[in-house]
Amino acid sequence: MGQEISEFGKVFLFLAVGVIFVVLGFVTSRLIRPHRPYTEKLTTYECGEEPKGSAWVQFNIRFYVVALIFIIFDVEVLFLYPWATIFKQVGGYALAVALVFLGVLTLGLIYEWKKGYINWVVPTPNIPKMPTKKFEKPKSLEKPKVAEPETTA
Amino acid sequence: MPNNLPEIIEQVKLSLGAFVPEISLSALFLLVITLDMVLNEKRVVIPMVSLVGFVITGFFTWQQLDMPNQEYFLRMHVVDPFAVFFKFLFLGAGALAVLITMDSEELGEKNVANIGEYYAVLIAMVLGMFLMASASDMLMMFLALELVSISSYILTGYLKHQIKSSEASLKYIIYGAVSSGLMVYGMSLIYGLTGQTNIYEIAKFISANEVDEVTLTLAALLVMGGFGYKIGAVPFHFWSPDVYEGAPTPVTAFLSVGSKAAGFAMLIRFFKVAIPAEPTGELAFDWVNFFALIALVSMLLGNFAAIWQSNVKRMLAYSSIAHAGYLLLGVLVADDLGTQAVMFYLAAYTVMTVGAFYVVILIANKIGSDDVNDYRGLGKRMPLTAAALTVFLVSLTGLPPTVGFIGKYMIFTALLGKGTVFLTLAIIGVLTSAVSLYYYFKIPLNMYLRESEDGAETPMESSAFANALAAFLMILTIGFGLFFTPLANFAKNSVIMLVMN
Repeated sequence: MGQEISEFGKVFLFLAVGVIFVVLGFVTSRLIRPHRPYTEKLTTYECGEEPKGSAWVQFNIRFYVVALIFIIFDVEVLFLYPWATIFKQVGGYALAVALVFLGVLTLGLIYEWKKGYINWVVPTPNIPKMPTKKFEKPKSLEKPKVAEPETTA
Repeated sequence: MPNNLPEIIEQVKLSLGAFVPEISLSALFLLVITLDMVLNEKRVVIPMVSLVGFVITGFFTWQQLDMPNQEYFLRMHVVDPFAVFFKFLFLGAGALAVLITMDSEELGEKNVANIGEYYAVLIAMVLGMFLMASASDMLMMFLALELVSISSYILTGYLKHQIKSSEASLKYIIYGAVSSGLMVYGMSLIYGLTGQTNIYEIAKFISANEVDEVTLTLAALLVMGGFGYKIGAVPFHFWSPDVYEGAPTPVTAFLSVGSKAAGFAMLIRFFKVAIPAEPTGELAFDWVNFFALIALVSMLLGNFAAIWQSNVKRMLAYSSIAHAGYLLLGVLVADDLGTQAVMFYLAAYTVMTVGAFYVVILIANKIGSDDVNDYRGLGKRMPLTAAALTVFLVSLTGLPPTVGFIGKYMIFTALLGKGTVFLTLAIIGVLTSAVSLYYYFKIPLNMYLRESEDGAETPMESSAFANALAAFLMILTIGFGLFFTPLANFAKNSVIMLVMN
């Protein structure tokens, strides 16, 4: 051999070892484990709770908005950390740059606030009523759902 | 490249001086969202502020004309006449987009409650285009491209309550994500081959060292996927008819001129600098033939598919695919004459396409339809608007005495005398232009020679402002067709790109 492994070769080795490790683990345990399933064992594990319904439910859009806002401020920390490590060396200029950066972010936060994107408006629940007679459509299903009004200021 | 911290900081400080137009646009963006928060009546103030901001940015851009060709921000950003030309083009397209939005009923008070954000996103998109024209590093290219793309997804889906608009936006995002992914993969391959992200360093490495030809070809093809999606050339064109039809018409106009011009700016810079066609004798990767193929298919498919369209916006979408083909012809010549022709043509295309879409907006405001068959009898009912549309379509076809003719003339002459392949392409270009005459003239045919079904002849002229703007664009289209020397000279002087240092 005698040949040096290049940087890409190291990455490839890392990937290969990772894949082999997982596949080997699963295959060996499949070969040597006993196989005695029952209902309780086959249910999805949800932190010890009994799983209810399908996981394919629609989540409230507001979760995404909050997650998005969270990411923005998460990234802010990511940028400010390296900034903090060199702050002493650079001094006033660094402070000015960081203030501009934070100023822009704060303006964004104020904008969200003012436009009501961080108001957690609870939507009116739309619970379908059980039909009283057989084969009768519940009332809530007859009318087309009215679009939720805009929450803009 | 400085290595220690004080030097880097010093360079960044110096670079800020070359970044004034971009800073001005960012400040405008912040100003617009602040105004959006505090004002109650936004429909007049915010567009006006945006226009003034564009003019101020234009002034700063104009000052960049005398700046030395140099790279800034640790070789991320470059200021040269080529970038400045495109910056003027983007500002012009942005200002026209703002003007035509003000008159659009589609984005009027009835349909859109919150118009402030629209202008803010539009400004962000112009900023992204500025960065695209100036990027000299693959990382910066990708970042700028994404800024433009994400802004355009938002604008495309701005009519939240219209299913067509949302559908267009979703399709656009999916195609955009795939082609951005392809482009990043190509870029990572180029980085793997050369160990550089700066396009000048890549060029230096390729001309000095032996690189694997197959890998480089693959990488360049993948990168072309990202650019091709932005310019709407054929194998990557699938999004454009649906997006053009579904998006609000002012957004369609801006996408078809702004995004396309920005894509071409980046494509020309990338392929002419990073993978030069004639480095020193041997070609590292022969992209000229590849571009010839794309241009050929774009011209054929764009023009022939447009024949069957009855929705005017969709027809213009296919015509814009065909125009991407013509523009690629200018790119693949790979000399200064070709690049100059592309730049002139893009400026011409901006005027005539925005004009055509503006007239489509004005007509849709009155008759509520984009269908060619509903345009019957409009020649009598809206004489000025109909005349303006005819002029824009004549220009798009490329007939004299309009600016479209000069643009096509410049591109085709750039192709002459370079060999049979180029000559054949030029001939096909002329022939497909003749095909485009057929579908463009369906519109004037309906407007002038056919009576409307209900026989209505009551005049429906638009406001004085709308008429003035349509007339202004019409005069520009004809004026630049007759007196094209200043614009052509500006394009010629702007071809000087930062060559290898």
